[in-house]
Amino acid sequence: MSNVILFNLTTVLFGVASALYLGALYAKNEKISAFGTWVCFLAAVFSTAALGVRWYESYQMGIGRIPVTNLYESLVFFAWSVNLFYLVIERKYRNRTLGAFVMPIAFFTMVFAVYNDSSIQPLVPALQSYWLHAHVITCFVGYAGFAVSAGVAVMYLLKARQENAKISEGVVGLLPACKMLDELVYRAIIWGFPFLTVGIITGAAWANYAWGTYWSWDPKETWSLIIWLIYAAFLHARVTRGWHGKRAAILSIVGFLATIMCYLGVNLVLSGLHSYGGG
Amino acid sequence: MADEKRTPSPMDRVWDFFISVKLAIVTLIVLASTSILGTIVEQNQPPEKYHQIYEDWAFAIMDRINLFDMYHSTWFLLMLVLFTVNLTCCTIDRFPKMLKVVRNPRTKLDGSLEKSLSLSDRWKKKGTLSEWAGKYAEALSATFAKPKVTEEGGEVHLYAETGVASRFGVYVTHLSIIIIFIGAIAGNVAGFKGYVNITEGESITRVPVRGGIQIQDLGFTVRCNAFSLETYPSGQPKAYKSDLSIIEGGREVVRKTIVVNDPLQYKGIWFYQSSYGQAGGATAQVTVARKDGTPGSTLSLSANEPVPIDGYGIVRGVDYQQNFQGKGPALQVVVEKPGQPAASFWLVQGRPDLDRERGDSLVFSFRGLSSKMFTGLQVAKDPGVNIVWLGCALMVIGLIMAFFLSHQRVWIRLAKGTDGRVEVVLAGSASRNRLAFEKRFEKLQTGVKATGQ
Repeated sequence: MSNVILFNLTTVLFGVASALYLGALYAKNEKISAFGTWVCFLAAVFSTAALGVRWYESYQMGIGRIPVTNLYESLVFFAWSVNLFYLVIERKYRNRTLGAFVMPIAFFTMVFAVYNDSSIQPLVPALQSYWLHAHVITCFVGYAGFAVSAGVAVMYLLKARQENAKISEGVVGLLPACKMLDELVYRAIIWGFPFLTVGIITGAAWANYAWGTYWSWDPKETWSLIIWLIYAAFLHARVTRGWHGKRAAILSIVGFLATIMCYLGVNLVLSGLHSYGGG
Repeated sequence: MADEKRTPSPMDRVWDFFISVKLAIVTLIVLASTSILGTIVEQNQPPEKYHQIYEDWAFAIMDRINLFDMYHSTWFLLMLVLFTVNLTCCTIDRFPKMLKVVRNPRTKLDGSLEKSLSLSDRWKKKGTLSEWAGKYAEALSATFAKPKVTEEGGEVHLYAETGVASRFGVYVTHLSIIIIFIGAIAGNVAGFKGYVNITEGESITRVPVRGGIQIQDLGFTVRCNAFSLETYPSGQPKAYKSDLSIIEGGREVVRKTIVVNDPLQYKGIWFYQSSYGQAGGATAQVTVARKDGTPGSTLSLSANEPVPIDGYGIVRGVDYQQNFQGKGPALQVVVEKPGQPAASFWLVQGRPDLDRERGDSLVFSFRGLSSKMFTGLQVAKDPGVNIVWLGCALMVIGLIMAFFLSHQRVWIRLAKGTDGRVEVVLAGSASRNRLAFEKRFEKLQTGVKATGQ
């Protein structure tokens, strides 16, 4: 199907963009990373088109549903969100070194997606609801924010070690100053956190409408709460003496690991009400 | 101050413990990490299942600390209580201080305030204090906010602010959490959740709740008129439908076909499509006709259940085969007439006239098996749910206030300089997103400076 071809092309573009950003960092060449930005932009166009085509094709098949309902679709949607989120941040903060740490996340997500079933399947009764759109989209935009934040947090930890040793050489020397990275880790989370919150709330509203209970401590629900708690801890850590900086950056990375667990681990390892997400 | 040096009393220490943000961070992390346990150990399963998985000693320990229902265990609830107390104490401690600052802002740009502000500029102007104060007040009103003007000791101070609401964001968010907890408690105390199966054509008035420990009287009757299952051409399920009626005072007051994601609500009690199944064994539908072709009744035969036919005998369905001698579905029937040996024969569904060959006074035709279905309904009443939604809405509003608004303040001080000119100082600060404020301040700076030229 043509949507899958477009998604495969997007995967290649993400890979090229990651390579360009990493290469630019290694070669200390700003021009290469500027080229990376164009590739990211192209990938955004391709993946958006792919999502649209997939949506259209589902109607052609007489199924007609938003393309965010199984593992394959959620992975490509996640990569799409990370890419857009990154482009916005790159434009706003005018720093392209971030791409070397963020775009590989989008690339490996797409590579993982390619290994999953990409066929368009009809919706099981539990998913036939308008809440699906609001719930899945808000959750994934939130996840994308956390992915970007974790990427920058890794940069922060590398940079902080160098700043402490009062040296500024090699690849790490090219990274933005700690203060700026710390701000970016935070900025990505203050976008991700409200989206995750709305994602959890719409999920609860949907659960209440479908099952008669807005919270049932299902593993997926619980993990989303765990993520929420970790980022809540991050937000408080940042304004507390002795907790901002390094510890906050570690919390951001731990939060993203928990996000991966919530998103993939729960479906692949644990069982529960969200089991259809693993299909 | 003198009392700062005093050694804190035990009460103060307890208070300081509960108002610390560090406690909040630790509680959040501990809640997050312990919550993982309940996702690894499947919750609320029958004990036999746990015994299959865990050794006896492990089971004993896990059972002891309520790990099989950990989210309702005392220790987990106590952590939530600690979390709530921490939240409440922080609010009690900080909210009045914040309110005081917001209500009585520092409207005068004195030396110490000026030093603490990173964004500032100064210049001189010819003219009078009041003339420039008026011009700058107008400029601030037009581009930022209407300033408050204070005159004191030969100086004029202008103070303007926007986005005060951002200071309240944290408190709205914290309050929302407490409201959600109140809603959850209200639902647990005054509501119920249950599950009931209703066979097609049958009714219920009561529902077992709280895991079957209690029986809840609904105060009305629910009847399942029919259940149906739709599938996609591929065989995957497409819809589960239950046609339900609410009967009150002997009258049908509501009728609705519910599906997953579209429940029925009556008097605050919700009925959700949750499950389905086959009710009891199947019955065989057999039509009876006279030899001359006059149609008679239709029999519903349950397995081995004798059904009498007046003036004829007793009929029983004894066996069923999906594919009888390659002719498709068939029913084996035994007929017992008074004073005669029992006769046994097969009726093939695809050949309704086959029984004529037997030459009996009555001709039987097998019309197929029919089985009654039951629908499984989740039944819930939750009077706290709207409180929970209120809390959720407040939380989103609070987060937006806290993250995306910024309390921005701008001061202008005008004083008569030694050279007779007016000395102007402009300064500003923002509670958050300083990068964005720097840009705004730059614009303001150029705008204000250009005023009156």
